[in-house]
Amino acid sequence: MAEEKKGRALATKAAASIPKFVRGNLAATIKAKEEGKKVAYAYIADGQDEIMRAMDIVPAWGESFAGVCAAKRDAEKYLQKAESDNFSRSLCTYATCTIGFDMIRSELGVDIVPDAPWGGMGRPDMILGSAQLLCDPRFKWPQATQHYLRDVPIFVGAMYYPPFDPKLNHHEQEKFYVKYCTEELRECVKFCEKHTGKKMDWDRLAEIVELSDKTWDLFIDTYELRKAIPTPMDTGDAMNTMVPLTFNLGTQEAYDFYKQLYDELQEKVKNKEGVVEPEKYRLIWAAGLPSWFALGDFQYFNSKGATFPVEVTYRGCEKIERLELPKTSDPLEHIAWRWVRYWTHWYDKARKRPGSLPKVERIIEYIEEYKCDGVVFHSAFSCRSWHAGIIHQAETLKKVYKEIPILILEGDIVDISSYNEADTHNRIDAFIEAVDAYKSRMG
Amino acid sequence: MAGIQNLKGLAKAEKYYTDYGTRAKELRAQGNRVIGYISALSPVEILTASGVVPFRLKGNVEEAITKGDAYMETIVCPFVRNVFDSAIKGKFHFIDGMVLPHQCDSLDRTSDIWRDYLNLSYFHFLNVPHVTDEPSIEFMKEILRLFISTIEDFTGNKITVDSLKKAISLHNENRRLMRSLYDLRKSNPPLITGSEMMKVLVAAMGLPVYESIELIKEIIEDVKGRKPLTDGQRKRIMLIGDQIDSVIITDTIEKAGAYLVMDDISIGSKMYWQDVDEDKEPILALAERYLRKLKIPTTFVDTGGTYEENLNARFGHMRKYIEEFNVEGAILFIYKYCDPYGFEVPAIKSYIEAVAVDVLYLEDEYSISSLARMKTRIEAFLEMIA
Repeated sequence: MAEEKKGRALATKAAASIPKFVRGNLAATIKAKEEGKKVAYAYIADGQDEIMRAMDIVPAWGESFAGVCAAKRDAEKYLQKAESDNFSRSLCTYATCTIGFDMIRSELGVDIVPDAPWGGMGRPDMILGSAQLLCDPRFKWPQATQHYLRDVPIFVGAMYYPPFDPKLNHHEQEKFYVKYCTEELRECVKFCEKHTGKKMDWDRLAEIVELSDKTWDLFIDTYELRKAIPTPMDTGDAMNTMVPLTFNLGTQEAYDFYKQLYDELQEKVKNKEGVVEPEKYRLIWAAGLPSWFALGDFQYFNSKGATFPVEVTYRGCEKIERLELPKTSDPLEHIAWRWVRYWTHWYDKARKRPGSLPKVERIIEYIEEYKCDGVVFHSAFSCRSWHAGIIHQAETLKKVYKEIPILILEGDIVDISSYNEADTHNRIDAFIEAVDAYKSRMG
Repeated sequence: MAGIQNLKGLAKAEKYYTDYGTRAKELRAQGNRVIGYISALSPVEILTASGVVPFRLKGNVEEAITKGDAYMETIVCPFVRNVFDSAIKGKFHFIDGMVLPHQCDSLDRTSDIWRDYLNLSYFHFLNVPHVTDEPSIEFMKEILRLFISTIEDFTGNKITVDSLKKAISLHNENRRLMRSLYDLRKSNPPLITGSEMMKVLVAAMGLPVYESIELIKEIIEDVKGRKPLTDGQRKRIMLIGDQIDSVIITDTIEKAGAYLVMDDISIGSKMYWQDVDEDKEPILALAERYLRKLKIPTTFVDTGGTYEENLNARFGHMRKYIEEFNVEGAILFIYKYCDPYGFEVPAIKSYIEAVAVDVLYLEDEYSISSLARMKTRIEAFLEMIA
């Protein structure tokens, strides 16, 4: 096993309970067979969470397992395995990590892969992919995996939203986008029914969807407590506390987790207990998946008196009332509206500020509401989905908003080979100096 | 310019290849509108029906990216970055607008950059889905209708069913002719070299369809009358990849001692092998052609059958080409940072090798910076399969 880096110290008790959550999710994929349940390889933000939960399908999240491998600095063996069959290092390393894992599974002819971090993922009975505006690997990764698990059927649905165009009215397009997403979710249900041999319980699905709405609301209420000065929780913790929302949506456990976190943060706010003392600089993590093998860098920021009260990454929800969702009795249509509006609800704001972009409006909104003094992006070399366009966001932010200090860190999500801790820390040092000068200038 | 108009056939194609964009510039100067587009996924029939000159954008593998990196991350597809670099340097000053189809993340995630920095009078991001089932066809029709409405607003020209049918018919004729030219590569030796073919493909993508038709007709006449170009035994190679648009690549393969007889590339057979069904309602026919018939790695194909059946549905056309063009070796040339192709490499490689055709996999930039290394690998591959 590779060198395991000491984990980042966490500010909240709730975040400290997350590894148990993640282990539990992985263990569930192993135990599923004994319990007569089906396992599906699944990918985050695909809108299929509630369908899986309602049909007792156990999701095995590729991104989560790859993140665990990276955090434990034990991904290299899987990356190299994938590379041995000509998967380039420039491809999504979440994907190549789990493909390497499945290549080993296939070669050994086993269901449970030995020596896998936290027990690994159980062998899937199906793969649920998704085509979106988000990321090509969500439909290429399943196909590439099937090359090694040939008997595993794949479903790829679609979950698109209208792209932002300042000259086009997206409201006119939303209806046909939602219709399409709803029909694709219905196709997903048919596929799951076929491969589980069970019929969808539509009442149960409706209850789960309602629980997801409540979880979205509670998540935002909880995270908005971080507006307090000093902030009671920063992005270092949020990279953990995103787990229930991202991987356990539609479960009571996820809802209960945020209730616990809400109570803890409320207490901290009451006691004016911050992440760092004194809190000198407040930053926004404006885009980019983190380097899972280097989460300690958040602590490095903290050591300079800097905290992140807010981040865009993994804040994959919004208060339901802010989305103004049309009423529908169809839970699938509700899911479709929720996802489409999640992406489009910044569009009108962006249209009002010439030259702006929805992503930039979101950053501006957070900078103002969370009183941030600087902006940090992370550009991961193997992921175009979240990381292509960061330069443009940074430039647009400066152009349409103000000359706020911006740092673009470079690294990867899983592949440690391009990471240089000393260089990263030097860049953070220089950035903190710029933020300090900016704060002085701004009074 | 009059000089080019006096040229015929391959000589004309050579000139259009060398001075890429020269005809579009001329047409622009005559008062036509020119709309640039990227990838085989752009429905050129709609552009033709709207009365504009469709002009496919390409980069220059011999020119380093010097300005584009200030706008686009280096993790973006090197081809996309190179084309954007050309655009931001003003090399496409004669285009009035552009259409960017949602082929991949590198186009999708940079669409704001193209729109915001090129400041064109017209820009449209065509949100083509990746899934090909029935709901996706209906969605694709909506996407095409939206595209039509924006181009109508821009040109002031209404696209009627008749004008669309006429454009479809012209583009089908163009495709049929190009396939006839490809047929002349089936003999051994082929009647047209891979580099000559590359010049024709590039020339054609920079012309209005009716001029492309005339050019290809002339070239077919030229080539048909030829005697076989080269003597000696050479291996017959197929080139697979996305937008490969330079003779530097084809020359490298042919100078290493091979006949380049077929391709499965974005400006080649991918553009010309599938027609639009002229018997169907035109929007539906276009939706089906671009979503289901076009063989590109960014459309998800699953038959619901076995893995082998899925492979046949995805790559069966490549085995057909191998058979029809007597292909003896394949070069799979993939650009770095290309997830759609990159994730297919083991599947394509094993699928082709299963019919006893060796495959050389190369991953590289859209640049000649590593040409020497590539040349060595191609030479070694040809020696191995000799």
